[in-house]
Amino acid sequence: MTELLTTQIIVSILAATIRIACPLMIAALGELVAERAGVMNLGVEGMMLMGAFVGFFVTHQTGSPIIGIIAASLAAMVFSLIMAFMAITLKLEQFVTGMALNLLAAGLTLFWYRSFQKIVGTSVPKIDLLENIKIPFLSEIPWLGKIFFCHNPLTYLAFLMVPMIWFFLYRTKYGLELRCMGENPAAIDMKGLSVDTRQYLAVMFGGLMAGLAGAFVSVASSVRFVPDMTAGRGWLAIVIVIAGNWRPKWILVASLVFAFLDAFQMHVQAIGFKIPYQIFLAMPYAIAIVALMISRTKSEAPAALGIPYRRE
Amino acid sequence: MEALLKVEKLTKRFEWVVANDAISFDIQKGEIHCLLGENGAGKSTLAECIYGYYQPDQGDIYFDGTKIDYRSPRDAIKSGIGMVHQHFVLVPPASVIENVIVGTAGAPFLLDFKGTEKKLKQLCQNYNVDLDPHTKIWDLSVGQQQWVEILKALYLDAKLLILDEPTAVLTPQESEQLFKILRKMTADGISIILITHKLNEVMQSDRVTVLRKGKRVDTVITKNYSKNELTNLMVGREVILDVKKDNLPLGASMLRLEGVNLRDEWNPHVLDDISFTVHKNEIIGIAGVAGNGQKELFEVLVGVTTPDTGKVFLDDEDITHMNPADIIKRGVGHIPQDRYLEGLLEEFSVADNLILGSQHDSCFKKGPFLDQSKIATYAEKCTAEYEILTPSIKTQVDHLSGGNAQKIILARELWQSSKVLLANRPTRGLDVGVIEYVHRQLLKKRSEGYAIILISEELEDLFNLTDRIVVMYKGKVMGDFKTEAAKIEEIGLLMAGK
Amino acid sequence: MIKLKFVKRTHNNLRWRILSFFIALVSSLLVSGLLMASVGQNAFEAFWALFEGAFMGQEAIMDTLLRATPLIFTGLATVVAFRARIWSIGQEGQLVMGAIFAYGASVIFSGLPSIVLIPLVIIAGFMGGALLGGFCGWLKYRFKVDEVISTVMLNYIVGYFLTYLLSGPWRSKGSYYLQTEEVVKHALYPVLMEEYQLHIGFLVAIVTTVFMYFLIRKTSLGYDIKALGMNPTAFRYKGANIPKMFVLVMMISGGVAALAGTGELLGVHGRLNMDISLGLGFTGIIVAMIGGLTSIGTFFAAFLFGGLVNGGYVMQVMTGVPLSMVYATQAIILLFFLCSSLLSKYRIKKVTDND
Repeated sequence: MTELLTTQIIVSILAATIRIACPLMIAALGELVAERAGVMNLGVEGMMLMGAFVGFFVTHQTGSPIIGIIAASLAAMVFSLIMAFMAITLKLEQFVTGMALNLLAAGLTLFWYRSFQKIVGTSVPKIDLLENIKIPFLSEIPWLGKIFFCHNPLTYLAFLMVPMIWFFLYRTKYGLELRCMGENPAAIDMKGLSVDTRQYLAVMFGGLMAGLAGAFVSVASSVRFVPDMTAGRGWLAIVIVIAGNWRPKWILVASLVFAFLDAFQMHVQAIGFKIPYQIFLAMPYAIAIVALMISRTKSEAPAALGIPYRRE
Repeated sequence: MEALLKVEKLTKRFEWVVANDAISFDIQKGEIHCLLGENGAGKSTLAECIYGYYQPDQGDIYFDGTKIDYRSPRDAIKSGIGMVHQHFVLVPPASVIENVIVGTAGAPFLLDFKGTEKKLKQLCQNYNVDLDPHTKIWDLSVGQQQWVEILKALYLDAKLLILDEPTAVLTPQESEQLFKILRKMTADGISIILITHKLNEVMQSDRVTVLRKGKRVDTVITKNYSKNELTNLMVGREVILDVKKDNLPLGASMLRLEGVNLRDEWNPHVLDDISFTVHKNEIIGIAGVAGNGQKELFEVLVGVTTPDTGKVFLDDEDITHMNPADIIKRGVGHIPQDRYLEGLLEEFSVADNLILGSQHDSCFKKGPFLDQSKIATYAEKCTAEYEILTPSIKTQVDHLSGGNAQKIILARELWQSSKVLLANRPTRGLDVGVIEYVHRQLLKKRSEGYAIILISEELEDLFNLTDRIVVMYKGKVMGDFKTEAAKIEEIGLLMAGK
Repeated sequence: MIKLKFVKRTHNNLRWRILSFFIALVSSLLVSGLLMASVGQNAFEAFWALFEGAFMGQEAIMDTLLRATPLIFTGLATVVAFRARIWSIGQEGQLVMGAIFAYGASVIFSGLPSIVLIPLVIIAGFMGGALLGGFCGWLKYRFKVDEVISTVMLNYIVGYFLTYLLSGPWRSKGSYYLQTEEVVKHALYPVLMEEYQLHIGFLVAIVTTVFMYFLIRKTSLGYDIKALGMNPTAFRYKGANIPKMFVLVMMISGGVAALAGTGELLGVHGRLNMDISLGLGFTGIIVAMIGGLTSIGTFFAAFLFGGLVNGGYVMQVMTGVPLSMVYATQAIILLFFLCSSLLSKYRIKKVTDND
C-alpha cells in the first residue's frame, strides 16, 4: 500500500482522474440538458460509440484529429435526431427508443469497422492522436502542473463546459424555458412556445456532446478503434446525472469521483495486488449501483422527465 | 357601446364531436361575463379558441375592433388576452417571478428580474395581495397560486381575462377575495370571462351566456334571473337541486380513527392528530381545500399508507398496519379522486376493470386460471344494473365517457365492499345526470347500513348528503359538526384555518 | 403544409399489426441493402445467401432453430418484464449467470445419472438468473435503484465475474483460451436428430413459450403482471403488493433468460467460455418487441432472428459481408417496427378544415 503513496503515483492518479473524467462529464452535461428538457435519452451509450467510431474513421482518412472530433460530434448529433423524432414527434416510449439506438450504434459501428478493416487491408488501422497541450508556465508548477495543465484540448473544454452549461441553464432566458419545460411542459405550451422545437434542440445538443465524449474515448486516448470502446461510459454518464441531482456543479463532482476510482483501480492493478484484477474492472459499475442506493437527497429530477408531452 | 370581444358563429369540431356549434356572443368592456354550462357543454373549448390554443373551424372573432386569427396563445397574449386554466400551468420549483417571466416575448437574453419585480410588487399592492415575488410556487397556497396565474396576465397588461372554474379549489373566503379582485379589475376597465358551473359564482356576474351541448342557449342579464331558472337553462329540464335524505337512526360505530399522525420528508404534519368516528347508516363529509391532508387520510384508510402514530379501527379490529388487500377483504370499498390515475386500468376491458381487486377470489378462478365465463356473467350484470353505457364488456375503458368510467368504479366498489365506502370527490367532472346517480347510490348504501366517508370540495353536496361534517385544514381536524346544525360561513372559516 | 394527426384506434387491430410488421421488415431490408451497397457489397447476393442459409433446406431450418432457441428464452424473459413495465435489460448478465450456475451444478452433481442430472442442471441455471434478476428487483423496491441502470451495470459486473472464473479457479488446465474443461458428457443436452446440432433445449424453449402464454394470458398472476405495467398506482390501491411483484417478475424474467445460457452451455459450446453470450440478451429484447410483447409472437420473431443470424454466418462465408451487418439489421428492424407499430395503435388522418 505504501507503494501507492509515492508522490509520483499520486500525481499520476490525479492527472488520470482529470483525464478520465472528461468524457464522462461531457456526456453527462449533454444528457443533463436533454433531461432538463424532459427527454430521457438512454441512447447516450450508442451516441458515444457513434462518435468514437466516426472520430476514429475521419481522423484516419483526413489525418487530422480536430476534423475527426468535429465530424464525431456532428455524426452523433445527426444520430440523435432519430431519438428526437421517435420520442418527441412520434411520442414513442423513450426507454425502448434509447435502447434501440444503442443496439443500432453497436451493430453499425461494428459493421463499418469490419468493412473498414477489409477495405484498408490491415486488421489494426491506427490514427494519430490528439496531442496534449502543455499550458505555458502553469504546467511547470511542480505536481499541480502535471495534474491540471498537461492535458489535451478536449479536457480543458470539458471543464469549461461546466460553468458554461450552468450559466446557460440558470442565467439565460432559454435556460429558464428549458428548466420549466422539464418540470411542466404545459406551462411553456400555454405561453405559446413550441415544446417540440425546444426538446429537439435539447436532444440534439445531448447528441452533440455524446459524440464529443465518444471522440475523446477514441481520438484523444487510443490509436486504435476497439468495438464497444465506450464500455458503458454512456450509462455511467446517465448515473452521474442522477447522482449529481441534475445540477452541473454536482455532476462535475460525481464525474471526478467516478474517474478517481477508475484511475485508482488502474494504478493498483499496475502495482499488482493479490486481488483478482477483475474486481477493479468491475468497480465503476458496482460504485454506480451503490451511488444510486445511497443518494437519498430530495431528488431534483425534472418532474416531466420521460413523459412524452401531449396536449390534452 | 362597442364590444371588446365579439364572437360570431364560432364552430369547433374534434373528430365527430361538435364542441362549439355556431356560437355567437359578445363581451363588453369592464363586465364580468359568465359562461355557464354543464361538463362537456363546450365552455372551455370556446375559451381556448378565444385564447388561441385552438383554431376555430368556422366563425369569426373580433377583439377590440379587429378581426383576429390567433395561431397560438402567444398572439392572444400579445393582443391583451389572458387565461387562467382550471389546472394551473405553473412550475412548482420555480419562483413567482420566474413563472411570470418565462417565455414572455421581449424578455432579455440574460435574465434580469429587477424590472419585473418592480411591476409585480406594484400589481400586488394595487390589488391588495401580499406576496413576495421570489417565493417558490410550491410554497404557496392554492389561492396564492391562482393569484400568480392572474398575475401572469396582468403583468402583460391584459384587457380580457378568462378564468376557467376558478373557485373549484378555493375556500369560501378565498372565493370572496377573488371576486373582490375581479371587481377591482373591472373597475380598472378589464373584462372578465368566468367559466363555471357553480351557480353561486354565476350570480355575481353581470351577464351570463348559457351553453348546452355545444350550442348557445341564451345570453341574459344575471340579476334578472334566479338560480333555478339558470339551472333549467343549463340543463334543459327541471332539476331538483336537493336530494332527499332519509332520517335514520345512527348505527354502531364502524370506522374509528384515534390520534392518527403522519409525516413526510417535507411536512411533519401531513396528518395531525386525526380522531373521529363513522357509524353505520351514516355519511361523514370531509370538507376542506384540496391539499390539506384529505388524500393522505384516504390513503391511510385504504391501507396504502401507514400512520406514524395513532390507530385505525374497523368494526373494532385494529387495521392500522393492515395492507390494502386485507382491508378490501374486510368490506371496505373506495372511490378514488382521479378515476383514471387511481382507479382504472385504461387499456384493460370493462370486465377486467370490474374484477380489479378481486382477481384472486375463488369465485372468478378455476385453479390458477381466471374463469372468463364467470367474469363475463358478473360483468354483464354490473353493466346492466349500473347502466354503464358500453359497446361490450370487452371494450377498453379509455373509450368510455368519464361518467361511465366512474360507474364502473362505483359498480366494482359497491360489489366488493360490504361495510364501508370511502369516496374521494366521486362526482368530479361529471354531468348532472351522473352526479345525481352517484348521490343516489351513496344514500342507498347509507340506508343499507354502510359507514361512508365523503371527501368533497362542493360544500353544497356536503350539506345535502352528509350527517356530519368534519373540516380539515393542514392535516388537522378543525371541527366536527352535525350537518343540520352547521353554518356555511363557519365551515368556510375553518377551511381557511381560522 | 399538410398536417397529420394521430387518432387512437378503438381496439388493437391484428390486421394492422401484421401489416405494420411487414412494412417495418421491408423498410429495414431496404436500408440494410443501402448500407451494404455503401461499402461496396452486392446487397442482392448477400440477401440471397442469407435467405438460403436461413430457410432453404432442412439443414438450414435446423440451424435456424438452433440459433433461435436462446432468443426464445431471452425474448420471453423480456416479455414478462416489459409487460409489467419493468425495464430490465439484464438478459445478458442473467444468461451468463445461467451458464455459470449450470456449469457449476454439472461439476458438483456429475456423479448423478443423466435423467436426474440434466433437469437438476437446468434448475440450477434457472436459479442463477432468478437470483440475479431478483436482486435487481429488490434493489428497485428497497433502494429505488432504477432497474435499467442496475441491470446494465450488473451485465458488466457479471461479465467480469465470468472472466475471473475463466482465468482463475475454473480455468481449463493447460488451455491457451479462456475456458473451462468440457462439461461431463452425461450432463450435455442430447440432440434431437442424429445429423443436426439442434438439441432438447429447443423443446424446453417450446415448453417455456407455452407456459408463458398461459401464465400471462390466462392466470391471475398474469393479470397482476399486466396490471402492474398498466397502472401501478391503481393496482396498489386495489391490494397489490408492489415490492413482492417486482421481485417475483424479475425472478421469473431472470430465470427464463438464464435458461438461454444453460442451453448454450449444454447444447452448443459444451464448455464455459467467453463466447457464451454474444449479445443474445439484447437481441432477445428486439425479438420480444417485434413479437409485440406476446409469447407466441416472440416465438416466431425468435425464429426470424435466428434465421438472420444463421443466414448471416452463411452470408459472411459466401459473400464476405461481415456478420455484424446482421446485428445492425436487427436494430434497424426494431427501429422501423417501433415507428410502424404506431399504425396499429393509431390512424393517421389529414387535418382538414373540418377538424
